[in-house]
Amino acid sequence: MARRNEVKLNECKMAVSLSTWVLISNFKLAYNLLRRPDGTFNRHLAEFLDRKVPANANPVDGVFSFDVLIDRGTSLLSRIYRPATAEEPQPNIAELEKPVTAEVVPVIIFFHGGSFAHSSANSATYDTLCRRLVSLCKAVVVSVNYRRAPENRYPCAYDDGWTALKWVNSRPWLQSQKDSKVHIYLAGDSSGGNIAHHVALRAIESGIDVLGNILLNPMFGGQERTESEKRLDGKYCVTLRDRDWYWRAYLPEGEDRDHPACNPFGPNGRSLEGIKFPKSLVVVAGLDLIQDWQLAYVEGLKKAGQEVKLLYMEQATIGFFLLPNSNHFHTVTDEITKFVSSDCIKTIGERIMQCIGALLCVDYVCLFKCFLG
Amino acid sequence: MLRYDSTSSSAGSSSGSLSSSSSSSKPPQQDIDGLLAGAGYKVRSSELRQVAQRLERLETAMGNSPADFSQLASDAILYNPSDLACWVDSLLTEFAEPPPTCSSDFIVDPVNNQTVVNSAWTTAEPHTPQVHQNITYDEQQSLDNQLTVVTAMEEDSGIRLVHMLMTCAECVQSGDLSLATSLIGDMQGLLTHVNTVCGIGKVAGHFIDALSRRIFQGMGGGSVNGGSAFENEILHHHFYEACPYLKFAHFTANQAILEAFDGHDCVHVVDFNLMHGLQWPALIQALALRPGGPPLLRLTGIGPPSPDGRDSLREIGLRLAELARSVNVRFAFRGVAASRLEDVKPWMLQVNPKEAVAVNSIMQLHRLLGSEQTRNSPIDTVLSWIRGLNPKIMTVVEQEANHNQPGFLDRFTEALYYYSTMFDSLEACRVQPEKALAEIYIQREIGNVVSCEGSARVERHEPLAKWRRRLSGAGFRALHLGSNAFKQASMLLTLFSAEGYSVEENEGCLSLGWHSRPLIAASAWQAVPAWDNHMSSS
Repeated sequence: MARRNEVKLNECKMAVSLSTWVLISNFKLAYNLLRRPDGTFNRHLAEFLDRKVPANANPVDGVFSFDVLIDRGTSLLSRIYRPATAEEPQPNIAELEKPVTAEVVPVIIFFHGGSFAHSSANSATYDTLCRRLVSLCKAVVVSVNYRRAPENRYPCAYDDGWTALKWVNSRPWLQSQKDSKVHIYLAGDSSGGNIAHHVALRAIESGIDVLGNILLNPMFGGQERTESEKRLDGKYCVTLRDRDWYWRAYLPEGEDRDHPACNPFGPNGRSLEGIKFPKSLVVVAGLDLIQDWQLAYVEGLKKAGQEVKLLYMEQATIGFFLLPNSNHFHTVTDEITKFVSSDCIKTIGERIMQCIGALLCVDYVCLFKCFLG
Repeated sequence: MLRYDSTSSSAGSSSGSLSSSSSSSKPPQQDIDGLLAGAGYKVRSSELRQVAQRLERLETAMGNSPADFSQLASDAILYNPSDLACWVDSLLTEFAEPPPTCSSDFIVDPVNNQTVVNSAWTTAEPHTPQVHQNITYDEQQSLDNQLTVVTAMEEDSGIRLVHMLMTCAECVQSGDLSLATSLIGDMQGLLTHVNTVCGIGKVAGHFIDALSRRIFQGMGGGSVNGGSAFENEILHHHFYEACPYLKFAHFTANQAILEAFDGHDCVHVVDFNLMHGLQWPALIQALALRPGGPPLLRLTGIGPPSPDGRDSLREIGLRLAELARSVNVRFAFRGVAASRLEDVKPWMLQVNPKEAVAVNSIMQLHRLLGSEQTRNSPIDTVLSWIRGLNPKIMTVVEQEANHNQPGFLDRFTEALYYYSTMFDSLEACRVQPEKALAEIYIQREIGNVVSCEGSARVERHEPLAKWRRRLSGAGFRALHLGSNAFKQASMLLTLFSAEGYSVEENEGCLSLGWHSRPLIAASAWQAVPAWDNHMSSS
């Protein structure tokens, strides 16, 4: 028994850097303390252990943040992250909701991960991640503090995501100068990725335009046990048992994993053919045991004629994007930047450079910088 | 406010010779792994490998006996999760111990080498998930709908008001009093278009008043925090009832004091501001119930002298004595009347060298901060004699705000943000007159922060990060508040208060906030033994 454990631990350690290993192992251990066999969750201990950071209206590395209560009835908070501008390096408290000034400003609505049960918008790891997104994409990021399982089951998380989407869409100060519209992207990791998909579905029926979905290791599943689940169970800090626990905690009682929330293209799923679903960027880690479901998701989108780009990071484990110390991290951040900026060309100069770049297959940003000397 | 306090209580102090850390041989801050710091963890790069090994061991141990692990989860008291190395160690130690069989079990906290008893009265409750049940949901809903309608309509006016307040404050700072005056007039006019019953209108009104007083009456502002001691006590009591901030303060401090007093038969609590003594019945009862029986409890209550011959301190003392008698706790009370905390001298407290002393300061230390950082300012004097008492614990609760900045505009901005949040949280209170009087209590604080200067300005709140540095520099080290205190604080909130409050743990200290903005922070301290200083100052 001890030997089998040893083998598992060694495999995981070799796949990632030491800091990453310490971080995800720590999470794994802490999370094991919180899940009770009877399906309840030790919420007090979870909140005690979660490392949180306050919002900071003083820019740090060019990004400032503030919290907004989006819905009083459900105490739905969101943390807004904005880039500090050259003209306004030190925003004052009355200026936090000052209108965005650029031609096009992407607004990324971000749903943190945690398998529907863990973490918050003000968790340190996610605060750091959202700040990175602002810098990378020159975007405003709205991180939604959605209600969590098991206290709040399906569809609470989706409802909160939907409330946030409506709120973002109706903020005059988030409208891009170019067309007085809010340029919205939905993004999330793990359960957040799942939420992004389902909120995008709701958006279609309502007529709110979502420009793109970014799904990082999205959490999907199904009743069947897939090959990757069997092969990778317990190998890289995630077990089938814990995956099952979280689905039981989120899905309505009595439902199985073929519920469409968990398995959107499964037997109870819904066809997206003929529907104007946003383009998707889906990042799958090759060492993630639920990859078969994530790949099935990508296939499902493709079969329905939807635009989707798959980034399969063969050597990556879950959580790889939390720390910027791997090639995977940089590849993914580059792709996200391209995904978001392809709709947001700021100047004619950059547009020209992009065309030249495409023709010459070079990085147009580098070219532009060279051009400027 | 910085996101990360890079000079935490466990590392170098900002002011010279005194060592602040529990182990003075800790290497400098540069060694902290930057990547993990971004995730909220403090791990030294040099220790990373060791931490990884310990995590591995823990994982193996967990795999081998999962039943013990879930036992650990419900019974263990955990401290300071940011310090990964220590946290993992404490879990490992837990795991290596035999499962608890009686109520007087020990858990060694490796950070402080302190033994903490897993007391009977803090053990686990039934495993019910924390379901947010809004019993009066319908009432809440309709009131909230009203609020949202109101705020939507007045959003523009509200924003204009905030802009004007900021501009006015700026004028006051730069000395342009004529413009400031006309702005006051404009704002008062605008107030008539805005709902002053709730939301921005209400808080703006108080700030306009405070600014107005500053401009027209100068900065003696005596009338603001004036009010008799009697009035202040009444307001304080209603503030206590209307919202959970003071309850949280008392509750958390009592928990820490109780733990610190474990094993001592003679204990002495020094309360820096007795008021109605609301904090102490709970401690008296807890001591009555502790395994092994209660100690002899002495309480020294400090408070302002009462006019017209009344001895209000003694009256409170008598009531507490009556309670103690009813639960068989040997109790002695002493009142120390002083107009200002800095007038108190240690000999007045008559501390016995054999007793375990707890010094309790609920929102008092900030009053000792002057505007000038002179060498023997009141705060230094008082901290020095506290240290001289060598208390087992000093519990400190302070407003989590930066209201002592030298620049007026900065202070004003911070106060506007802070008190808006606090007023917003007060909206959830439905009982009168508690709510109205609590608002007056807060209003007086606002008045002092905004319209007073010099010795009249006593509400000199500073954030926890600053208190950490100050207390470390004065020869104290932090005693960490653990997961049990956290859990009880969270449960207190669900019992007494509306949704929207949250408790957070921050490197061994607990804070209570509204909608993720911390408003009040509680910490516990102990004097670093004198010989440690000699070691490190060479």
